[in-house]
Amino acid sequence: MREIVFAGSGGQGVLTVGLIISDIAATEGLNVTWVPSYGSAMRGGTANCTVKYCAENYIYNPSQEQPDLLLAMNEPSLHMFLPIVAPGGTVLVGDTVTIPDDARQDVTYVHVNCTEIATSLGNPKGANVVMTGAVVKLMGDFTKEAAIAAMNHMFEKKGKSKFNESNAKAFDAGYNAVECLTNASCVR
Amino acid sequence: MAATRERKVPALVDKPMDFCPGCGHGIVSRLIMEALEELDQLDNIIFPIGVGCSSNLGAGLECDRLHCCHGRAGAVATGMKRVSPDTLVVSYQGDGDAYNIGIAETFNAAYRNENITVIVINNTNFGMTGGQMSLTTMEGQKTSTSIYGRDCSVTGYPIRFPEIVAREFPGAAYAARGTVTNPANINKLKGYIKNALQAQLNHEGYSIVEVLSPCPINWGLTPVKAMERIEKELIPYYPIGEFKKRGEEQK
Amino acid sequence: MAEMMKGNEAIAEAAVRAGARFYAGYPITPSSEIMEYLSWRMAEVGGSFVQAESELAGINMVIGASACGVRALTASSGPGISLKQEGISTLCDEGLPAVVITQVRYGNGLGTLFTAQCDYNRETRGGGQGDYRCIVLCPSSVQEFVDLMLPAYELSEKYRIVVVMMGEGTLGQMMEPVTLPDFVETKRTPWALTGKYDYKKIGIFERDSRKEAVELREKYAAIKENEQRWFDEGVEDADYVFVAYGVPGRATLGAIRELRAEGEKVGLIRPITAWPFPEKAFAKINPACKGVITVEENATGQLVDDAALYIKKTHKDRNIPAYALTYVYNTPPIRSIKADYHRIKNGEVKEVY
Repeated sequence: MREIVFAGSGGQGVLTVGLIISDIAATEGLNVTWVPSYGSAMRGGTANCTVKYCAENYIYNPSQEQPDLLLAMNEPSLHMFLPIVAPGGTVLVGDTVTIPDDARQDVTYVHVNCTEIATSLGNPKGANVVMTGAVVKLMGDFTKEAAIAAMNHMFEKKGKSKFNESNAKAFDAGYNAVECLTNASCVR
Repeated sequence: MAATRERKVPALVDKPMDFCPGCGHGIVSRLIMEALEELDQLDNIIFPIGVGCSSNLGAGLECDRLHCCHGRAGAVATGMKRVSPDTLVVSYQGDGDAYNIGIAETFNAAYRNENITVIVINNTNFGMTGGQMSLTTMEGQKTSTSIYGRDCSVTGYPIRFPEIVAREFPGAAYAARGTVTNPANINKLKGYIKNALQAQLNHEGYSIVEVLSPCPINWGLTPVKAMERIEKELIPYYPIGEFKKRGEEQK
Repeated sequence: MAEMMKGNEAIAEAAVRAGARFYAGYPITPSSEIMEYLSWRMAEVGGSFVQAESELAGINMVIGASACGVRALTASSGPGISLKQEGISTLCDEGLPAVVITQVRYGNGLGTLFTAQCDYNRETRGGGQGDYRCIVLCPSSVQEFVDLMLPAYELSEKYRIVVVMMGEGTLGQMMEPVTLPDFVETKRTPWALTGKYDYKKIGIFERDSRKEAVELREKYAAIKENEQRWFDEGVEDADYVFVAYGVPGRATLGAIRELRAEGEKVGLIRPITAWPFPEKAFAKINPACKGVITVEENATGQLVDDAALYIKKTHKDRNIPAYALTYVYNTPPIRSIKADYHRIKNGEVKEVY
């Protein structure tokens, strides 16, 4: 079973990243759950959601337990959720997040400058889709092609298919950013 | 000229009702039933009925009716009418039920312009529970919870709800106040009730008729004196008439 | 194929497919998406939707619609359901069916917005005045919630009683793959007010309360006998039997399967009806069982009262202890349930009863 926590400030699109990953997993025929923070927990502060997916088993507990991957799009999110990341897990952070020197050593930290990448693509609002590509690559559970097809299908259902091309580019850039990272540059 | 006409009991009434001697409820009940008969609606009527003396209406009728939680007839009537748009829905409530505990439901049903008719029997007190002060109790009136007379500086002033409807709710179809003090007023009141029901039948929107009604037992007056009190004390404050007429141009 | 759907939206659509044609309610987190969805959906299927001025008005509008024979729905949470209690009591008194959904959130008074199971006592005891109970269904997944909507209406009409769908914040807010049921055709109930007075037994006006009291006793006894629903696993040979419903119920299923794989003899009863409580499941429990353990999302332990009552009733010869594992703010991780189980087994947790 795989568990991912997506966290950031309201408006950074982290719930959407979680939704895209859920839809990719559901399209692949996996069991999936997506549980968001909601209500006043979302007003002004951080937003987060937890996605679990697996092929074999029913997902017993959909709630946050011990994520294999944490996407932290801002520093408060990093501090809030770093303690629950599984030992050996991955922490993916965006351009504005600095990893403190005394942060735990038993997880892998990956920086992807998602805002910079999205801006360079002329799609500054697409930073979260860049991160979606990065998450798919880091998890290694889905092919890039299948993931992009599922993502596009999800936006089509919402009547937003006109963004498919720019979304696919952003996804691709995030995916490649992780692929191109050498160990030296991405692991602290 | 010796012919005396037999008193005809309206078809929807099947038992005597338990109102006190001199009470006005019985007259109003009869007028509603006659109006329904004349509008040919005897088999097209549901009464959501309030809590208080108005409850006694339910015991004497032979038609669809529901005893509502205290004050909530406006909401119950809304639910009924929304799923039965072609059936007449007439709530029957006292001033305590409709205005004190039920003002939110009464106000909001009018605000939404529900296509229902509301009949409020205003006897300026809580009749059923022993004559306590209500929102319509007159300034200075002695009740079992205002034994020195109502002090409006701490309790607020008597409410005139049909006037609020006429003034504040442009969509509402009809608002009137009548009374039962003499045959002329009774005939006028019957006209108001028919107008209100006709408005609902025409899907014109919300209609309300308030009735100034005597409560001799709790007022401590004889039935005749109670009628006199309405004429002398109540009508000057609670004018009778139509405040918003059916078919008037909607603003 | 099953589609990812948000709990509250799937539940609202399932209600429509189960024949609900009237909704009245008031917004409250974490149930609001149900009314948001129905605000446009009801009109599409010829139903009615009213955004009521209050929870009081909402439940009383449901009374009006139900009295006229239409499948009616309201949904709320915590304080909103408290405000509806007089109306729920009235529905039960008048023998009017309705479904009330509560997506439970934690806390007293205004409380919090966090998912919880703190309203078990209110829902299962009949939270308003008088001498009644509601049938209480407590699904553990969005799919189960969706699948129970039609049975909820059928039960409410069969017994002319209110059915409470006791969910949790998580079930309303989460997304899961869901397969929606087909639409059912419904007719107005035979006792509906039509304006024609063709059903004579109405309200308090034409009733014999003494005779009714006897009928009431028989009705509730029949519900207790016929309508218990639950899921159980591994209870016949278990040393310890967990009792948990809703989302903690499914988390506990994960915990007992892991514990079994590790050689622990544990079982689970997951009530699907919180009332009537699944007494029949308790009769299946290993006579040599060493304890029952509830897993609850609250601070004080509520489910444990019923678990204790029924283990003592079904295993009279032995005083089997009842333990409560109570967790506030979110569903406990499976590893916490397992760790706390070992604390119980090692005698580090005192029994409640």
